[in-house]
Amino acid sequence: MIAFLVRRVLLVVPTLFVIGSLTFFLVRLAPGGPFQSEKDVPKAALEQMQRAYGLDRPLGEQYVRFLSHAAVGDFGPSYKYPQRQVRDIIAEGFAVSAELGGWALLLAVLIGVPLGVVAAVKQNRFADHAAMAFALAGVSIPNFVLGPALVLVFSLGLYWLPPALWTGPSSRVLPVLTLAAAYVAYIARLTRAGMLEVLGADFVRTARAKGLAERTVVVRHALRLGVLPVVSYLGPAAARILMGSIVVEQIFAIPGLGRQLVNAAFSRDYTLVLGIVLFYASFLLVLNLVVDVLYTRLDPRVELS
Amino acid sequence: MTAQSRSHARPGVRLAAALVLALAAAACAPERDARDARDARWFGSIRPPAANVLRFNNGTEPETTDPSVMSGQPDGMIARILFEGLTEYDPQTLLPVPGQAYRWETSADGLTYTFHLRPNLVWSDGSPLTAHDFVWSWRRVLSPSTASRAAALMYPIVNAEAFNKGTLADSTRLGLAAPDDSTFVVTLRAPTPWLLFLTSYYTFVPVPRACIEKHGARWTEPGKIVNNGAFSLVSHRQNAKYVFAKNPKYWAASEVKLDGIEAYCVDDLNTSTNLYKAGVIDWNPSGYIPSPFLPYVRGFADYTTGEFQATYFYGVNCTRPPFDDPRVRRALNMAIDREAIARDLLKGTRRAWGRLTPSGYPGYDGPPHVPFAPDSARAELARAGFPGGRGFPKFTILFNTSEDHRRIAEAVQAMWKRELNVPVELQNMEWASFQQASTTLRYDVARRSWIGDYLDPSTFLTLLTTGNGNNRSGWSDPEYDRLLRESEREVDPVKRAALLRTAEARALASSPFLPIYHYSTHELIKPYVKGIFHTALDVHPLSRVWIDRDWRQHEPIASGARR
Amino acid sequence: MSVGLNPPASVLAEEAAGPPRSLWSDAWRRLRRNRAATLAGAFLLVMCAIAAVAPWLPFVQDPAAQDLALGAVGPSWAHWFGTDDLGRDLFARVLFGGRISMLVGVVGTLVSLVVGVSWGAIAGYFGGRVDEAMMRVVDVLYSLPYLFLVILLLVFFERSLVMLFVALGLVQWLTMARIVRGQVLSLKSRTFVEAARALGASDGAIIVRHLVPNTLGPVIVYTTLTVPAVILQEAFLSFLGLGVQPPGASWGTLVSDGARVLAIFPWLVLFPGLALSLTLLAFNFLGDGLRDALDPQGRRDGN
Repeated sequence: MIAFLVRRVLLVVPTLFVIGSLTFFLVRLAPGGPFQSEKDVPKAALEQMQRAYGLDRPLGEQYVRFLSHAAVGDFGPSYKYPQRQVRDIIAEGFAVSAELGGWALLLAVLIGVPLGVVAAVKQNRFADHAAMAFALAGVSIPNFVLGPALVLVFSLGLYWLPPALWTGPSSRVLPVLTLAAAYVAYIARLTRAGMLEVLGADFVRTARAKGLAERTVVVRHALRLGVLPVVSYLGPAAARILMGSIVVEQIFAIPGLGRQLVNAAFSRDYTLVLGIVLFYASFLLVLNLVVDVLYTRLDPRVELS
Repeated sequence: MTAQSRSHARPGVRLAAALVLALAAAACAPERDARDARDARWFGSIRPPAANVLRFNNGTEPETTDPSVMSGQPDGMIARILFEGLTEYDPQTLLPVPGQAYRWETSADGLTYTFHLRPNLVWSDGSPLTAHDFVWSWRRVLSPSTASRAAALMYPIVNAEAFNKGTLADSTRLGLAAPDDSTFVVTLRAPTPWLLFLTSYYTFVPVPRACIEKHGARWTEPGKIVNNGAFSLVSHRQNAKYVFAKNPKYWAASEVKLDGIEAYCVDDLNTSTNLYKAGVIDWNPSGYIPSPFLPYVRGFADYTTGEFQATYFYGVNCTRPPFDDPRVRRALNMAIDREAIARDLLKGTRRAWGRLTPSGYPGYDGPPHVPFAPDSARAELARAGFPGGRGFPKFTILFNTSEDHRRIAEAVQAMWKRELNVPVELQNMEWASFQQASTTLRYDVARRSWIGDYLDPSTFLTLLTTGNGNNRSGWSDPEYDRLLRESEREVDPVKRAALLRTAEARALASSPFLPIYHYSTHELIKPYVKGIFHTALDVHPLSRVWIDRDWRQHEPIASGARR
Repeated sequence: MSVGLNPPASVLAEEAAGPPRSLWSDAWRRLRRNRAATLAGAFLLVMCAIAAVAPWLPFVQDPAAQDLALGAVGPSWAHWFGTDDLGRDLFARVLFGGRISMLVGVVGTLVSLVVGVSWGAIAGYFGGRVDEAMMRVVDVLYSLPYLFLVILLLVFFERSLVMLFVALGLVQWLTMARIVRGQVLSLKSRTFVEAARALGASDGAIIVRHLVPNTLGPVIVYTTLTVPAVILQEAFLSFLGLGVQPPGASWGTLVSDGARVLAIFPWLVLFPGLALSLTLLAFNFLGDGLRDALDPQGRRDGN
């Protein structure tokens, strides 16, 4: 296990190297550049800006410089916001996105897993259909519809909650609900499917035969394996949800990382894109590692070597 | 709607009430709560803020707070809150009123401007502000190492262009001088009737030399920044908001009634309008009401509209056959039914417009508009070798992704198909790809628009000169270039206007640009906010704005649905 | 529509202890007994059929025909679903949009299914270095900024339906691969796999006959959830200029455009949204039915 962990952690570095290198060339291949504007930028100013950021140097040199700086987590200033460091932008944005995503993830798991378990245990009975209908409602209404609809009712109709901004606790409610809805459906559906696989398995039958209470069988024995698909799903999903949702951040004007990444991509803010992508990648790699370790905890038969 | 609020309703307000009901019905939610804060005449809450603070949406996150470098509406608004130039805009007419300078003289040939600064001007840190600060700040804008995006606005100044482009290294040869601490002299190479407009512009404000030399690129951060305007920066959270507090060192601090300003950075139009409706912001500036909503908010008393000096048009790539033929471009131009677009599609929220320059330039009466003349259009197309549209190659209207641009493009596509029988396709691109395609002339027809920088037709007409970076159509006409050069030297305003008019008529006849509509401003301003007015350039000085908590008493009795 | 789920089904058929035909017909019989699944399947078939023949249906108007003076009006006899602000018939636009959306949804999902299941199963079964390498590829693809991948596709290739599928397929299979791999990791040490190995079954046979069929539950569920995700993703690609181009429309673009005017023209989001939701529901019911019908353990109840 220790050897496994050490190797996986060591593997993070080359993986990040590949991701960083590919992204570096991807963003530079895209049409347009960071200093483009609807109004013509004077040639002298453009050259000056390119010089200031080293964009006038050969691509190879830029690449080497990027790698050596990225290795210590320094991406320099943003191109679009020259007075701000990429590091600061990421730290600020991630704090917000992670809080929003954290609540949404918690809510989605707390609702989704029990819904899925109930549905599986009561397969094809009323509770199953009700639970799945509820879960499916979440995924069949896209978040860019759900968000405005919630705002229309609770902010502009009832005047209960603020329509946007990231200010007090009450401003968290609508964005968290909007973000969590789709994940509830995924988690509930996957839990149900995973549980159904497990509930018919030999060891569960054995447990039942031993005379254990159904509740104990479900919670103690079946659930551990039944949530495996959910755990697989949650690795990447948690990374995505915690890194910020562009749609939710846009609708609710939340200063998160999702908005930053998309804006940076559209404005060809090379340094900011690279910084966020590498940050996201490290986060994802760590989460996937956690997921793999969780497998062995949930299912003792899984060997990672 | 409560019975109480209905009793307030006046004739002509029924529509507004009905709309509020419709909105409520769409929300499937009962109206309740906030009775005192709502009234059918107004769009949403009318409860004033608890503090004496103006809260508004400044839109997209500004790229920089450094006025010497910036370019763009959201950045400019922040600069105007923090800094003041030699002159200041009148909040309604935008004509120059005294700012840091209390009087000025112009020489008879219109080439020398002498500004006299107010006595005892100080920066927000208490240090004195002198004419030397202006010389230093303007030089900074022009210095190539500053990489200012708006430096070209200073080119009327002697030697400015050469210095900015790096062909002249000696900054003392610029037409800028400070004979003493309170006198600032600007020398121009050609008469520039709009110079006193520029002295109010954000690029021309003084910036704090000591602060910049101490902090370098980070000098605009809260806690470091030193400024000379009515408000100072307290805090800034990216993609969230700017907070400003009254600057007690401002020369007219006694006239500033607001304690502070909160400028939010909300780029989503629906969200901005929602925030206004919920009463979180007091002012939803122009451009932040989604177009489809305009006909619906029009009935509310807190809605204001007016002409905006900007036009919307299509650029034609004149380097690509068959669009290198002016007859083809004219045919396309005359086959656009601008009235139908403005009246039916935009529901009268914009004016149909058949020329390049917008309305409202003093002394300039532009050439006649391009008409909607399908028969002439077909005739032109036939003369160009495509009778009945036969043999016309498939081409594409390119636009950057936006619902509004798409609606216009779909309408124009249908018109060209209907009137000219030419095969038109549409393609959208994300912003940077679109910019790249339009600057490198990789398109057939592309959506464009232009906003005037100052109150003079030349801010539009220079676009089409040969080699101008904003031309982006490949159009080049030596006679047009000559007319514009001649207009630069012309001192007599009447003759100058005639030259410009002839030039614009030439451009319209050749049709490298296909005008579509004239922009308007559309704003929502809460009734308790006083001192924000519609202006032709959508520029708003905020130093004299105030919150009137007793606004109901101050309302004219017959105000009806108008502000 | 069940086409989309054929590969695992046929795979399963091969591995059956008895003659393949009987298992397949067995499953088919069980599926038909499931009323919800049958209804869902029928609904999807009808939707596909209507979408396919929409241009020739007499009561469907031209989806591009504008009536600027009319503008956006709610549902009426003349326009069953109302019109958009260019005065175009929304009913026609939803039907025509269904053509591209159904196609995109099915093909995109199929790609995700085939690539994701094989990738995940191979990685999970072989484990060790193979797993390590294959999963790092998934991580890399996850991390690359998708927006740039799409923009570059647009730069280097002609805009086409194939490119659209490539762009859709690029990322949708990743989570599927992780889910299948997780299941396989857990399954491969179970007794029935050990038994098969002891009997000398080849690796390929074990994966195809024993492992994949046992992951079908989560796979089918995730597949059915992928359909709406792909349909909505197409709207994002259209935003970048890759999906449908105006005046054409898809359910994704109709819903996302409609969401912006929810407060004033609610029908513009309601009808395309309903079409999307009903399709999703149908896919889910059909998926559940399939799962139950094909469930190797579930046969305990069926037989």
